Amino acid sequence: MPRIGVFVCHCGENIARTVDVRKVAEDAGRIPGVVFSTDYTYMCSAPGQKLVMDAIRERGLTGVVVSACSPQLHEPTFRNAVQQAGLNPFLCEMANIREQCSWVHPNRAEGTAKASLIMASAVQKVARGRALSASEVPVTKRALVIGGGVAGIRTALDIANAGHEVVLVEKQPSIGGNMARLSETFPTLDCSQCILTPLMVEVSRHPRIELITCAEVEEVSGYVGNFRARIRRRPSFVRADLCTACGDCATACPASVPNEFDQGLAWRKAIHIPFPQAVPSTYTLDAASCLNTQLVSSKSGYRVLACERCADVCSRKAIDYDMRPEIIEREIGAIVAATGYRMMSGEGLADYGYGRYPDVVDSLEFERLLSASGPTGGEVLRPSDGKPARDVVFVQCVGSRDPVHGYPYCSRVCCMYTAKHALLFKHKVHDGRATVFYIDIRAAGKGYEEFVQRAMEEERVLYVRGRVARVTQVDGRLVVYGADTLSGQPLQVRADLVVLASAMVPAQTNVAARLRVPTDAFGFFQEAHPKLRPVETLTAGIFITGAAHGPKDIPDTVAQASAAASKALELLSKTRLQREPTIARVDEAVCMACFECVRICPYQAVEKHEVRARDGRLLRVVARVNPAMCEGCGACAGACRSSAMDIQGYTDTQIFAQLTALMTGAAS
Amino acid sequence: MTEPTLQARTETAAPTWKPQIAAIVCNWCTYAGADMAGTTRREYPASVRLLRVPCSGRVNPLFILKAFEQGADGVLVSGCHPGDCHYVQGNYFARRRFAAFRSLLNFLGLDPRRVHFSWISASEGIKWARVVGDVTRAVTEAGPLTDWGRASSPAQVTLPEPPAPRPQPAAAELEAVTGHVRELAASLLREGKVSFVLGWAPGPSPGQTIPAFIQRPEDAATLVFDTHSHADLAAFLAGPRKVSGKVAVLVKACDARAATTLLAEGQLVREDVVLVGVSCPGMWRDDRLAYRCHSCDGEVGALCDFTVSAAGVQPGALPTGAKRATGPDPRDLQNAHLESLPAAQRWAFWQEQFADCVRCYACRAVCPMCYCGSCISEQHRPQWVPTSIDGRGNTAWNLVRAYHLSGRCVGCDECERVCPANIRLDLINRRLALELEQRFDYHAGTDPEGAPPLATFRPDDPQEFIY
Repeated sequence: MPRIGVFVCHCGENIARTVDVRKVAEDAGRIPGVVFSTDYTYMCSAPGQKLVMDAIRERGLTGVVVSACSPQLHEPTFRNAVQQAGLNPFLCEMANIREQCSWVHPNRAEGTAKASLIMASAVQKVARGRALSASEVPVTKRALVIGGGVAGIRTALDIANAGHEVVLVEKQPSIGGNMARLSETFPTLDCSQCILTPLMVEVSRHPRIELITCAEVEEVSGYVGNFRARIRRRPSFVRADLCTACGDCATACPASVPNEFDQGLAWRKAIHIPFPQAVPSTYTLDAASCLNTQLVSSKSGYRVLACERCADVCSRKAIDYDMRPEIIEREIGAIVAATGYRMMSGEGLADYGYGRYPDVVDSLEFERLLSASGPTGGEVLRPSDGKPARDVVFVQCVGSRDPVHGYPYCSRVCCMYTAKHALLFKHKVHDGRATVFYIDIRAAGKGYEEFVQRAMEEERVLYVRGRVARVTQVDGRLVVYGADTLSGQPLQVRADLVVLASAMVPAQTNVAARLRVPTDAFGFFQEAHPKLRPVETLTAGIFITGAAHGPKDIPDTVAQASAAASKALELLSKTRLQREPTIARVDEAVCMACFECVRICPYQAVEKHEVRARDGRLLRVVARVNPAMCEGCGACAGACRSSAMDIQGYTDTQIFAQLTALMTGAAS
Repeated sequence: MTEPTLQARTETAAPTWKPQIAAIVCNWCTYAGADMAGTTRREYPASVRLLRVPCSGRVNPLFILKAFEQGADGVLVSGCHPGDCHYVQGNYFARRRFAAFRSLLNFLGLDPRRVHFSWISASEGIKWARVVGDVTRAVTEAGPLTDWGRASSPAQVTLPEPPAPRPQPAAAELEAVTGHVRELAASLLREGKVSFVLGWAPGPSPGQTIPAFIQRPEDAATLVFDTHSHADLAAFLAGPRKVSGKVAVLVKACDARAATTLLAEGQLVREDVVLVGVSCPGMWRDDRLAYRCHSCDGEVGALCDFTVSAAGVQPGALPTGAKRATGPDPRDLQNAHLESLPAAQRWAFWQEQFADCVRCYACRAVCPMCYCGSCISEQHRPQWVPTSIDGRGNTAWNLVRAYHLSGRCVGCDECERVCPANIRLDLINRRLALELEQRFDYHAGTDPEGAPPLATFRPDDPQEFIY
């Protein structure tokens, strides 16, 4: 038989005015199992709490009901007090007779009757409650950062500077991401490389950052604080410990392919370094373009290579054709996904002549044309014939805000970088003509509007409000067909170069699937809450940052990267993690293995568990809840037909007893 | 714990009568919204009593049944707005479950003014007060719930007669099928491809055909297939395996759907069974065609390893070409009639039906979807279904079973056939199946890999019934 104490609070006049608190306490005294009931002016005051603690000690209470305000306010207070008196905190329940009774029901008789029912419901819940204790799991103090763009770099540095180990995994041979490709950055016109390179170097020199390039995360298992990552590193065929990046190998290499770093606007050799400031500063042999393709990928042993020129010239003997893919496994506590973006490609760009006319480029390609380290040395030359471009047309919202050809969302950065492009172009070609087609100008950042005004007013960039219908070529020159919606006139503009501000779309990775975290309709990572948990995912211990989460500019990306780092640090700063005990539990004897719970669980917390006999024979498979991952929502329990699944602290038994008390009265 | 008697509850229905309404609300949105109503001193009727759960997804719709059983006159379930769920998806699952359970209650004739759903956020104190006002008004209009578990007046419902069935199949056709079944069963056993064959054989009394379990090739000669091979043999496949080796099982079109659903629910390993589809001319009950067979062309599903027809045995699930003419489904005609009646009369009809239930659980025993080792009707902590064989207990049992079959029932109607009290369980299951088909475009028993409709959701699922 439970021994329950009921403590009814007056809350000054807040409750007592419309609820007869003495009557509620008397009603409580008549409920079987209630051995003590009383009322007091302010239960949350120190004497009030002492009343509760003394009663627990003196009367050996097994459960406590505090009839007072909303649990959102004082549940922690009383659970704490109860715990101090030696009772499990989960055997204390609040009966909310203030917010949900005295404050909304002015009729004293009705209010009192309802307060008694609310109290009785809480008594029945506590009577069927169980002592619950938070489970604890250890934390591996190491973070995995996936993606080495500016977001991943910032996150990795923040975590490492705070004293924790970081594994930074980058798919490409160098970190730097898209930011390394940019020429200048808005609105300050800082050189992108100049501000990024120091961070890249810091990563490479950091004693607590393990940088793994040419690599992808293949599998992630485990749960918060206790992940295990399998990382596959592609062979670079160049030993990083020997390579001095002298470049002799590239000079000797006979195979040339378009350089992806320059968006295919220039050439590189099969053995190459992506760009001069690359980190790690090591050459990489790209097996796909090396003349020895088949041989390099064959098993070692007897081999005849068609070409060994790079190995021949390398004085350090750094070339190793026998290098194999490598699997690296790491124990991880927290994961940050910073997989970034790419430019939209494909059909949606066909109307603009992209892919058909070489002088129609996207904005990342134009960045390379503007860049001093780019294929043209910073001169704006037409890709078709290498002649200087004098008339440049910039088209905004290509695939953005355009569900028909692309995506309904706004890519957020195009207004700003287009202004920057036009401005930089005018700086380089003083008598050139820059025309921008736009829908709206969205320049809502610090110094952004001023920057756009500068492009319009100081540099005389012509802004035309209207969409572009198509781009064609007439007599060897590009013609842009658009409309000026302010004057209502159709417009044709001749151009040497057309720059498309194409939509930012998520980088093509399967990282989200491997982490088993949801993405939105476009493939961007889904945050746990759009306002209150913007860098967390629903899976505890996995965080997101940068353009992988949605289009954003560099300042926002860096801010979010530090936010993700701080969330990861919050986790890594603990030695053990406490998990709420109000979670799901399976009665394995009852589970019939339909596994609807496995399908339903948004946290992947329900697993199929094999029950085996002593001799190892498989007896049956049942559902089992991983307490480290369960959040206690109860969607599984609401679906379970055999009622094998229950939520601790909100059990079916408790709910039934509460419903009965609410409907049939206090003394039942 | 004593229950107020029905009479006592009726007597309280004086002019000053005020309803009792159970509100089951989620912790993060609606409970906080109700707190907000309090903080801003927004008065509302004291009729509503709150029960806090973590999420609307925690709410098993059977809680609603429990609330009525315990004396509620109305029930409100409320959670976060779609997209705002603290647990992201809980309210989406809840929405589907409520849609199914609500349509069940509506079909049974419970006054729709008694059951309400709403999305109320933590900031919507005003909305909470308004919804409680609206719900209280609706339940007050509906009056005290005095006929839970009983018919307040005789229902006097006569269901329309089914349309004339197609003629019985020729004896020669059935004999041919029987012959091919025997050959196939014998050869499968002889070649050791299976260790068991599940089929049909003549029963102890004339005109009776019962399930048969064959292990030796020579026993294959006892198998038959006739218009009384009612038993859904897929029902024997669910649950832990007690025999080793493969089992061949004969399935009609409806049984094949049952096997498909069992596969989808992981109760069956495809490699463990050889499905032998039998081209079915329809099953006959005395001299009438079984209702489900009127609209069935007899073609087995795409899942079978063999298909047997009068023409012979063919591998795979190729159409036998014996497609039969179909007509309107008598169950739909009868349901349409029931639904044209006032809700109160429908409620009386079903209460009269349930009153005859003797709780023999034959419906559960024959149902291929009822494979739980421990049925919740026999669990007592908590007690989902009152054990008493009275209106309350019988209503609870039949509601629980109908809800548990929603989105899963394949319409084999075995429950209705074996019911000694002749309760028209087929009508309930059929109505609910159609509801889920229309709402979620889900056809039970057609996809061995698809997620059951209540274990998945679409963010834009219809929610016309939610405040």
